[in-house]
Amino acid sequence: MSSAALSKRLLDEYLAVRDSLPAGVVSAERRHEAIRALAARGLPTARDENWRYTNLRPLERARFVPAVSAAAAALPEAAVLPAVLDGFARYVFVDGIFAPQLSSPGEQTGRGLTVRHLRDTAERSTAPSGATTVRPVARALPTAVGSLPEARLALLNEAFATDTAAIHVSGASDAWQRVELIFIAAAGADAGASYPRVHLALDPGARLALVERHLSAAGGAQFVNSAVSVQVGQGAQLNHYRLQKAGVRSTWLDTLSAVLSADARYRLLAVNSGGLSARGTTHVQMAGPGAELTLSVAALGDKQQVQDHFALVEHIAPRARTEQTFRGIASGRARVAFNGKIAVGEAAAGTDSRQSLRGLLAGPEAEIDVRPQLEIYTDEVRCSHGATAGKLDKDMLFYLLSRGLSDEVAQRLLKWAFLEDVVSRIDIPGLRRQIEHDLAGQMADAASLKELL
Amino acid sequence: MLKIENLHVKVDGKEILKGLTLTVAPGEVHAVMGPNGSGKSTLANVLAGRPGYEITAGSVTFQGRDLLALAPEERSREGVFLGFQYPVEIPGVNNVYLLKAAVNAARKHRGLDEVDAFEFLTLVREKMRLMRMEESMLSRGVNEGFSGGEKKRNEILQMLVLEPRLAILDETDSGLDIDALKIVANGVNTLRSPERSLVLVTHYQRLLDYIVPDHVHVLVKGRIVRSGDKSLALELEKRGYDWVTGEAA
Ligand SMILES: Nc1ncnc2c1ncn2[C@@H]1O[C@H](COP(=O)(O)OP(=O)(O)OP(=O)(O)O)[C@@H](O)[C@H]1O
Ligand SMILES: [Mg+2]
Repeated sequence: MSSAALSKRLLDEYLAVRDSLPAGVVSAERRHEAIRALAARGLPTARDENWRYTNLRPLERARFVPAVSAAAAALPEAAVLPAVLDGFARYVFVDGIFAPQLSSPGEQTGRGLTVRHLRDTAERSTAPSGATTVRPVARALPTAVGSLPEARLALLNEAFATDTAAIHVSGASDAWQRVELIFIAAAGADAGASYPRVHLALDPGARLALVERHLSAAGGAQFVNSAVSVQVGQGAQLNHYRLQKAGVRSTWLDTLSAVLSADARYRLLAVNSGGLSARGTTHVQMAGPGAELTLSVAALGDKQQVQDHFALVEHIAPRARTEQTFRGIASGRARVAFNGKIAVGEAAAGTDSRQSLRGLLAGPEAEIDVRPQLEIYTDEVRCSHGATAGKLDKDMLFYLLSRGLSDEVAQRLLKWAFLEDVVSRIDIPGLRRQIEHDLAGQMADAASLKELL
Repeated sequence: MLKIENLHVKVDGKEILKGLTLTVAPGEVHAVMGPNGSGKSTLANVLAGRPGYEITAGSVTFQGRDLLALAPEERSREGVFLGFQYPVEIPGVNNVYLLKAAVNAARKHRGLDEVDAFEFLTLVREKMRLMRMEESMLSRGVNEGFSGGEKKRNEILQMLVLEPRLAILDETDSGLDIDALKIVANGVNTLRSPERSLVLVTHYQRLLDYIVPDHVHVLVKGRIVRSGDKSLALELEKRGYDWVTGEAA
């Protein structure tokens, strides 16, 4: 399908459903703005530099209208949900719409933490009863949503969004608030798309640990387009764990935009293992002096999977620090790509950025591409980067074989070890166990032994 | 136990072992000495099944079976252990996990159940005390950040836990301080038994003061040019390899 024809279809689909889209989530004007901007620019194509590795064919076939109806009717089995994490309030969204019967907010909405889902608030500006510190969620970005070409799929989300998880943490405190968001895609792509949407705002000095999971109801082929906007206020700390485990036939597209104020600390950790075609775009602006970002991404591709990630970190203010770690493994015929770009602006003297990007080629027909990019417009910066892509180390493999381990177990162990630089940063024991379990099947045994020691 | 006959091995098209013959009976300790580059590690690696070696002639039988036909992991499970000259670091693979996986692989091979986790740890701790290793090393990555001597001790620890029938120790004594040498030798000696055989590759006769060999062989340019008892090592130490290479030439 030509790009013009696709834009036309996109507009038509939007016009057909726009009146039924909830204005409390995104106002009609903003939806209109978003769809116009997206149609004008066109959806990404393989000719766009930073989309080369993405599998964009699903976009051509996609139905963009939200799969609203299916959500309430076909709730997935509770078995899909992972075990509850200690101390975390859970909010579940099915096909982008809040599902209270699957959620367990518990006691969390105590001091300073507000979690809302915007769908039912309609256009009311009053707070739902019980919540005390509700305020309108601010526009997350100083720049307009999706103005960055790589972030334009956020516009698609903005146009069609059916609900929003809006989290606001107010007040400086040493205490960490803990929230878990689970997005389940249930409806098949032929019934429409799923639009997970998150607004995060941390006031100065606030602290939040957020676990964000993306799952699929078993078996289906879903189309997911999520958008997350993050504001970390001055001196605030956000630990954000994003686990993408969409179904193996799904298309998963995601855009995260974050702005860090002075001395804010953002630890973003993503483990991407799901989807047939997955693409993540991460755009972080270091807007305040002394801000700190730790961006750690692990991606696993097997069989025919495509795992593509683009991360842009813009250093705008001085003395900010970025540490970027990527570990990707491509097995089978998978394609795994990470494009990590760090841009240091004129005013960003004293920037300290480190990149360590490593890809592991674990299949004869697999493809891996790790690309560090640096753009520096000022002196007085410390930027280091390392990028490697290669196969499993033969000496390590032989060492394990020589101790009697089967080739399969040895390879799995080494793959596991390869991810350790990212996985070891997961400081929530329950979550780490779940991920270890997911990633390495029998390696869970290693974790339990570790605890014995 | 082990019978190597007329073994010829090429690496990258170059012949390294040129007709090596060696027989090791159960319970025996053999020391293999020889100048740098003479093929000692090549021999050790070929016995353990490392890829990249082309065997152009000869045979190796281990307990009556064709050793060269077995995959490296099968050799290990059958009781062949190689102590590496340069043990590799494997960050992210937990030491104790590897030990346990290795033990269980061997047990499964023998039709036994998995080792009980508690008993296993008790055993490992006991062996670690013997090797004077810090217990914290268990939870570290395999050899990760270990000093040269610590790596060698870790090799012996693995050997003690795996209890192989045939251990080939490639310069396990190199890089050890005097105390560590005694600790390692002591560890090795606890394993000596009438059913177990040892091949020690070493440059130094000192190790042989602690682990007394039954036979000493001198490997030069891919062939054993001389064999004898412990006194051969002493004589080599005194006279250097020129003495044997001169004879061999
Ligand atoms: N991969 C290889 N490619 C080319 N030559 C090799 C390779 N591996 C070993 N060799 C050569 O084979 C010869 C024997 O090497 P080997 O490591 O077996 O010697 P060694 O007796 O163990 O020596 P050292 O006492 O120094 O440990 C050397 O000349 C070495 O350079
Ligand atoms: Mg050697």
